[in-house]
Amino acid sequence: MTDAKKQQGRLSEAEAIERAKQGNADAFEALYNLHKRRVYSLCLRMTANTAAAEDLTQEAFLQLFRKIGTFRGESAFSTWLHRMAVNVVLMQLRKKGLPVVPLEENIETEEESPRKELGGDDPRLAGSIDRMQLQRSIESLPPGYRMIFLLHDVEGYEHNEIAAMVGCSIGNSKSQLHKARMKLREILRTSRAEKATKP
Amino acid sequence: MYRKQRIATVSVVMIIIVAALAAAETTRKEMHFKVGRRANISIVNLYGPISVKPGIGKHVSVTATSYSGKVEIDQSKRGNRVAVVSHLLQGADSDSGRVDYEVVVPMDANVTLHTATGPLHIEKLHGDLLLEGSTANVDVRDVSAGRVHVKTLNGPVTLTNVNDAYVEITSVSGDVSLHQVNGASVHVNSSSGKIHYDGEFGEGGQYSLTSHSGDIEAIAPSYASIEVVARSVQGRVDNDFPLQPEHTSFVTRSGSAFAGTVGQAASSVNLLSFSGKIHLKKREQ
Amino acid sequence: MTCEEFERVLPELGNDHSIEQDEHMKSCSTCSELVSDLNEISKQGRLLQGCEEPSPWVWNSIEVALRQEGLIREQPGNLQVHPPRLSWKLRWLVPAAAASLIFFGVLLHERGGIPKHQARQESPAGVVTADLQTEGMPSEDMQLLNSVAARTPSMRDAYEQNLRAVNAYIHDAEQSANNDPNDEVAQQYLRNAYEQKAMVYEMALDRSLQ
Repeated sequence: MTDAKKQQGRLSEAEAIERAKQGNADAFEALYNLHKRRVYSLCLRMTANTAAAEDLTQEAFLQLFRKIGTFRGESAFSTWLHRMAVNVVLMQLRKKGLPVVPLEENIETEEESPRKELGGDDPRLAGSIDRMQLQRSIESLPPGYRMIFLLHDVEGYEHNEIAAMVGCSIGNSKSQLHKARMKLREILRTSRAEKATKP
Repeated sequence: MYRKQRIATVSVVMIIIVAALAAAETTRKEMHFKVGRRANISIVNLYGPISVKPGIGKHVSVTATSYSGKVEIDQSKRGNRVAVVSHLLQGADSDSGRVDYEVVVPMDANVTLHTATGPLHIEKLHGDLLLEGSTANVDVRDVSAGRVHVKTLNGPVTLTNVNDAYVEITSVSGDVSLHQVNGASVHVNSSSGKIHYDGEFGEGGQYSLTSHSGDIEAIAPSYASIEVVARSVQGRVDNDFPLQPEHTSFVTRSGSAFAGTVGQAASSVNLLSFSGKIHLKKREQ
Repeated sequence: MTCEEFERVLPELGNDHSIEQDEHMKSCSTCSELVSDLNEISKQGRLLQGCEEPSPWVWNSIEVALRQEGLIREQPGNLQVHPPRLSWKLRWLVPAAAASLIFFGVLLHERGGIPKHQARQESPAGVVTADLQTEGMPSEDMQLLNSVAARTPSMRDAYEQNLRAVNAYIHDAEQSANNDPNDEVAQQYLRNAYEQKAMVYEMALDRSLQ
């Protein structure tokens, strides 16, 4: 995107926010269209359920629009919305009693812990990961690993932000992220090896 | 000191005047009509809720509460037909044009409600019901022995405990929920709205739940007596019942289409979607 | 530095490697490969951001809730209470449009020549459009929307969204019926789709709500 278009986009979003504060229907919809994919994708990856993701997307936007009168522009609008979406999802998961993040003193079984391969001649994954394969692999991660991976690597949050959101330490966030990536690496390499052996 | 007292007095007077003006804007109008058997009652109200409940005797009572002077309530009675219309004046909008209706009718009355935003609520009637609302929430409960016809664009529709009735629901993108709805004919047509049915599929009726992209979930008891056909062109289809196969031209395809009978197959059930998911579930006892 | 030591500190340092780690990676292909793989996974993960689209009903539900909560407030003067009266010709359009729409659609389908209906158009990602796009809609739909906008501007957006949903339904149903003209289920889809369109027209042209 060129700088001119970016500038236009920023002004348009600011304009839409002001008009939404006045109760303009088109402005609400414009803001929704601008951010719906990111919010929905986040909810979908966290819940792995289309219906739940749509409900959570709706709830996140409604909470945002109810509070839009209080938005003063201290942070980027998208950041504000995104935080709200993450909180909505986390609240839902907690309500259902589903694990949000592994315990600090997580003691994994042999099955859960990603194997640390210190040898072998497997070729690198660079250039060989396709989107669908990665999506499926993420879905098969344990919920705690999936949460941290999505927040850090997919959505771009820093560890201190993740720690504040999910209620863990920064060290735990880093550790879980590393384990999530190791687990994904194992799943992707296994999948590639299986494909290679098929006739 | 004197000046302060004067300012305080003027302020109090102003407040009283403003409050009086505000109160004057809220107007409550009561209308009463005497009707015969199976009277036809029609309410047209662009903005605001309409609630219809049964009363004793052959009387229709309509209470309309408006919140501004920008709407007039027109009423007419011709024979056994009563019509009440919210007539919007120049400058009216969804706030100032809003009217709240509470309607009491004989149990055998036929009722027609038209709105844009609603919501609409009808309960405990036996007559024919037509509810039309663009974005209105529609809620119908405890009705029997009549026709129930609902049309919405994206307003959600909920029917609860509707029996011995002909039910027809058309909603483009509003979700449709049917709880204990049974009748000779139950037909739901949706584009993108979800359809949820939780009932008996009883009375030897014909049940048709169809959508374009909305998911369809149907929950029936283990003792249901149905002949069922389910198909989704692009969505997944699941079934919890053991089906007896039928000799038909319908092509069964695992995961996207199934057909068969349960029990005596007294009722016929069609669950059709183009890209939505379909699940025929067995109710847990 | 051994490989075990390298892996032990890897989670803590992330992308910031120490000199010892850099030295170790130069000499150890396994650990170098590990870091490369983990970086690739992280990079590919970022590409997954925001690539799924929710179904249209999500916005519909949000809009309904916003209206019910009074957060959407129409500007005064938008609603024309005494719009220009439709001519006597258009007054009879309500039942005629509904019946002819169904008849026309079924007739054309049986003759095997169904005109294409436009699919929904989406706003380009990242562009804020205050006015809804109306590209890709049949002209009769545009006329209907203009009629709705003239009478009740606040309902225009809802009608447009629902017309798009219905047109998509008709499009898919026509394709399905074309693929197998003997398929009764496909015929049912088509009838339902036209029934939906007729209902939208009927509601839009209902003068009792003016």
